Amino acid sequence: MTNSPSGPLRLTGLLLLLLLVFLLDIAIGSVRIPLKEVLQVIFSAHTDNDTWTYIITQIRIPKAFTAVMAGCGLSVSGLQMQTLFRNPLAEPSMLGITAGASLGVAAIMLAGGNIATLYTIKELGLSGSWMITGAACLGAALIMMLVLSVSGTVKNNVMMLIIGIMIGTITLSIISIWQYFSEPELIKDYLLWTFGSLGGTSGMQLVILGLAIITGLVISFFSCKMLDALLLGENYARSMGVTAKRARFIIICSTSLLAGSITAFCGPIGFVGIAVPHMARLLFSTSNHRILIPGCCLIGTILMLLCDVIAQLPGSNTVLPINIITALVGAPAVIWIILRKNNLRAY
Amino acid sequence: MDKQPPLLQARGLSIGYGSGSRNVCRISGPLDLAIHAGKMICLLGPNGSGKSTLLRTLSGLQPALAGTIEMGAEGGGLSPARLAKQISLVLTEPVRDNSLTVYALVALGRYPHSNWLGILNDADKAMVHQALDATGMTNYAARKMSTLSDGESQKVMLARALAQDTPLMMLDEPTAHLDLPSRIQLMQLLHQLAGTTGKGILVSTHELDLALQVADQVWLLQTGGQIDRGVPEDLVLNGIFSAAFDKEGIHFDMTTGMFRIHPGQLKEIRLEGEGVPAFWTQRALRRKGFSVTGDPTTTLSVRIVLEKEQPVWIMEGKGAGQEFTSLSGLLNALAM
Amino acid sequence: MKKKISAFNICSLILTGALLLNGCGQPATTAADSTGSPGGDSDTARTVIRYARGFTIEYHDHYKLLHILNHMGEKVDTLEYLLLRKDAALPPGYPHAQVIRIPVQTMVVMSSMHVALADFAGVADRITGLGSFQYIYSPIVRSNIKAGKLTQVGLDGNLNNELLITMHPGILMASSNPDAGSGKYKTLTDAGIPVVMNAEWLETTPLGRAEWVKLLAALTDREALVDKKFDSVEQAYNSLAQLGAGAKQKPRVIIGMPYKGTWFTPAGESYMSRFLLDAGAVYKWSATRGIGSLSLNFETVAPEALQSDYWLNVGYVDTKKEITAQDERYGSFKPYKTGQLYNYNARVNDIGSNDYWESGGVNPDVVLADMIRILHPELLPDHRLVYYKQLQ
Repeated sequence: MTNSPSGPLRLTGLLLLLLLVFLLDIAIGSVRIPLKEVLQVIFSAHTDNDTWTYIITQIRIPKAFTAVMAGCGLSVSGLQMQTLFRNPLAEPSMLGITAGASLGVAAIMLAGGNIATLYTIKELGLSGSWMITGAACLGAALIMMLVLSVSGTVKNNVMMLIIGIMIGTITLSIISIWQYFSEPELIKDYLLWTFGSLGGTSGMQLVILGLAIITGLVISFFSCKMLDALLLGENYARSMGVTAKRARFIIICSTSLLAGSITAFCGPIGFVGIAVPHMARLLFSTSNHRILIPGCCLIGTILMLLCDVIAQLPGSNTVLPINIITALVGAPAVIWIILRKNNLRAY
Repeated sequence: MDKQPPLLQARGLSIGYGSGSRNVCRISGPLDLAIHAGKMICLLGPNGSGKSTLLRTLSGLQPALAGTIEMGAEGGGLSPARLAKQISLVLTEPVRDNSLTVYALVALGRYPHSNWLGILNDADKAMVHQALDATGMTNYAARKMSTLSDGESQKVMLARALAQDTPLMMLDEPTAHLDLPSRIQLMQLLHQLAGTTGKGILVSTHELDLALQVADQVWLLQTGGQIDRGVPEDLVLNGIFSAAFDKEGIHFDMTTGMFRIHPGQLKEIRLEGEGVPAFWTQRALRRKGFSVTGDPTTTLSVRIVLEKEQPVWIMEGKGAGQEFTSLSGLLNALAM
Repeated sequence: MKKKISAFNICSLILTGALLLNGCGQPATTAADSTGSPGGDSDTARTVIRYARGFTIEYHDHYKLLHILNHMGEKVDTLEYLLLRKDAALPPGYPHAQVIRIPVQTMVVMSSMHVALADFAGVADRITGLGSFQYIYSPIVRSNIKAGKLTQVGLDGNLNNELLITMHPGILMASSNPDAGSGKYKTLTDAGIPVVMNAEWLETTPLGRAEWVKLLAALTDREALVDKKFDSVEQAYNSLAQLGAGAKQKPRVIIGMPYKGTWFTPAGESYMSRFLLDAGAVYKWSATRGIGSLSLNFETVAPEALQSDYWLNVGYVDTKKEITAQDERYGSFKPYKTGQLYNYNARVNDIGSNDYWESGGVNPDVVLADMIRILHPELLPDHRLVYYKQLQ
């Protein structure tokens, strides 16, 4: 059903909010830079103070873009999970993909963590954070293939969900074992990774992340009609021409791409995937994925940028891990949504 | 008779579970079935006989163990996408656990016809409105599914199937969760649709009463897989109907067209009377375990007379004759 | 009885003193070691702690009293240890002290620094167990490992108590941590294995850190030897520090490698900060509180990094390329552009152990010399870098 006349108004409002928060994210940080200078750098890529230019162009803008992509990717993959499993609490981590990424990272940091191994790997030419990212992608891909192979044989989506969660649990247990036998320094490094960070991605990495996210979003958008059909459950969907196997395959692929790549580059970030789809449904008053997918991108981005601004603890020298902020913002949001609806059936 | 070719023709169809694995469980078959346009077929049978399996197999939700299913001119082995333009479904549970509006849900029925983004053109929208009209849900269009009652939701599911605009519609126990008025409404509606739209409608149901009244054809699936087809009244008259259910210890009374719960017979009683009062008196007596007979030699008897158009029951044969102005009085006296 | 012992003691003292004055290092230590006369005490030199604040040693007639300050968060606990010769009786009045029979002949240690402390005191041979064999540089210990004389007992989290109790070493040397007070080592102490909680990593000065060798000295009756060695380290360090302090131009330095947006850099009261001060460097965070690391936003440190003269302690990298592989943005830092990148991984052996964390801890004078050579080449032109190397 068409939205009320406030539809375009709402959209404009959200776009303005997005712009505002994006600007805020770039303008705020540990180093105080006057707004005028910030704008000057954005529009002319130059200001008198080289340090400020560096900070804005090399640190803050890449971070803001990372936040945009994380916001889009996580919320759209969360939306798909909630539709596929018809579960209002579903989120990207439920297929175990994020756990797979963690597995790859832990394999490098903990199990293979002794310096000798790192040196030997370096001699092979791989080094730096690409190693971590590569391992995370590999781990996520591994789990994704495992989940896909199971999805072809499983009868219904509830089974799929449970298997996904169990795979995730096994993966995390393996990581725990490695942690148990590791030196404190390595555990600390790994722990830092699990806190998530939007600041570590720039340059080439940002480009690759961007490509992965855009690909994932395109796949999602092209399957928006199929997602609509899935809202009625597998049987009805099939009676309209949507096969469960194919649907699962496409959704798992796009979700893995989205959630997996973000986890690989930024660490595991939670809550955005659960909360934003609900917010989008609420705000846009629709279940239509053609509207919800862009809607989730919009709201997810705003939320992520907002969380990043809060994580800065504006003006202070330290920055809180992004994971903590998304949880602190996301959890109350979910509670508020549920209470407002007062009826979980109608999520 | 049926001049046109059937909308659906199944040959040598075997249905069951576990196709492709070692434990194959065949429920029924091989069967030869046909559904013709404009006909409403009710699939009846005791629980566990496999009605759902048959329906799911015919509609393509489940693979058959053997045999072919052909859709009129389209032939057999259709992909789900092509099948979606031939058969639409209504299942037992209405789908209410989401935030769809009635209109949005019915609009989903246009899935096989709409473009890749799911945007409806004018023709699509017209079909949606028609479907809402046909089911009487036009005024509900903006309501959220979660706010509807069971009966209303199922009508919406039916509207969705109508919007899908397929020659065949299959319904799997659509009335299971509905109250009596809704059940009657739905069955009436289906009967009407079959007649007016020329669709072939296959309904699996437990509503034996209603089915016998509205079905053009009945498929009676028995435990063990045997299926009997025919016009409902034929199946009743040749005793197949009763036989099917007698196995379950349930007795179908051909005279009344109802199932009788028959505890052990206590006594014989003779009933004299006519019309509606006699009909209902007989039911009351039977519930109390009496065997109602017309045998004049029976001692115990009840006679119904009309005084000022109100029935009066006169009981004789148990002590002194008594008169009662209500059935409950009569029954109390008989019980003493 | 007491009088007799006193007389005997004075004689031994004179003897030992004479031998020491002789300047004969090795024989003196052997003599001192082999004396440990039954019931004898006060016949070893008494050491004085000048820089370390984490432990004290008191010398009494028949025993030494060791106090280690156990820093559990805000509170400071004191751990007491009675160092008694074999067969010496327990002095009254120390109900909470752990008893260590000295000289310790076998020990199990948990960190590279402990190995270095033992090596400095010349008792690396007495190490019979390690937490893990992964990070060892000392050749003596490595050959002992190869010869099968050492046992791996597991890291802090999962110490193999059964193994330890079977081995029954003279002491277990562990690193002081908040858990220590909570009975983590109770099983071992109950079984009669004293657990010495080293806290050298909490010292705020490099000399203070190195001075923990005197703890090993007290445990093994090698105060004379260790004192001599430490004195020369101390002198060397102090004269170098003067040199560094007197430098006319003090360059700006950044330390450490950021990780994903957080840059851990030494706090103002840490020993690294002290190193920088003594090496004549300007360190932006030298006035901050804290003895560990500050976790700063990348953004906070980047401005300094962009304009610093030197970048030291760059993390686990070997070449310039690896730095930009971590993050392209580091290439904009001035020290990167000028090539003034120095990492302390010059002495890394074939299994990847970095000696900076081992002998580097007990040779702060050499480390300081390295740093001065880097920051002020003209002040120490003849010094060749030992622990540090320039990244290419």
